[in-house]
Amino acid sequence: MSTTQWLLMLHIAAAFCFVGGSVAAGILNVLAIRAERPSDSATLLRLIQRVLPVIFVGVAGTLVFGIWLWHELHFSIGAAWIWIALALWAVSGWLGSVGGRHQERARKLAEQLAAAGDASTEELRALLRDPKGTAVSYLAGVATIAILVLMIWRPGS
Amino acid sequence: MLLAYSRAFWPLFLHVLGAMTLFGAVLTALVTSLAGLRAATVRILIVALPAWAWTLGCAYWIEHDEGLGSSKATWLGIGHGVLEPGVVVLLAAVLCSWWWSRSGKPLAGRIVAGLSGVYLLLLTVAMLAMSGKWGS
Repeated sequence: MSTTQWLLMLHIAAAFCFVGGSVAAGILNVLAIRAERPSDSATLLRLIQRVLPVIFVGVAGTLVFGIWLWHELHFSIGAAWIWIALALWAVSGWLGSVGGRHQERARKLAEQLAAAGDASTEELRALLRDPKGTAVSYLAGVATIAILVLMIWRPGS
Repeated sequence: MLLAYSRAFWPLFLHVLGAMTLFGAVLTALVTSLAGLRAATVRILIVALPAWAWTLGCAYWIEHDEGLGSSKATWLGIGHGVLEPGVVVLLAAVLCSWWWSRSGKPLAGRIVAGLSGVYLLLLTVAMLAMSGKWGS
């Protein structure tokens, strides 16, 4: 295998970790929102922490191997699609961290309620279904898919 | 401009998106089965089935467009070898998770976790082979 093939393989493997891990976090979040008991919501939200290392490896790997490939494949320094992808990468990471903090608040409240009789409250339901928290998570997903579109389309290259 | 790229772009984009969704769903099933969440695991594995069909359908679309139908490339063989027979592992995981949700037997849960782990490993090998174009 050539250096380019190695770099492409590692870049795409990282992308699978990034997107696959985000899909896993999204599924667990949706299941936590739909759970009836706070203890179930807390367990599902806690499991998101188990997939975070996969996402972090993907986030770091896509950037490192992506920039390396940029140099290796001699793409122009002014390639707009790469700069837009880098901006979307930063936006996606920022939105993901905002969504993660929101899920942490919901998890802590769900754990408190689980320890105190395991009955759901309006406050927990409102926190889990908060439109701002949901919108942030969906926007992070949209930004991630937009990066994928740019990577496959490569407009202008 | 998007239309100009449509033939090359859409099948590959949809194939990769389907494969990433399948990877994420199987990863979730592995995590929930290890955590002992029976109902969630069944639902997640059932979601993985349409993602598998989507990925396979788009793979055939690419092969048709790119004229790869008779190709003997190693990376393509590994991709087919994992995706097509691999559905047996996925279906076995779905059936075992259904058995687990009905019976509550810990053995069923361990089998589901094992099958999900094996399938995730197979998908990873296929993804590495196809992205690195092994043997080309």
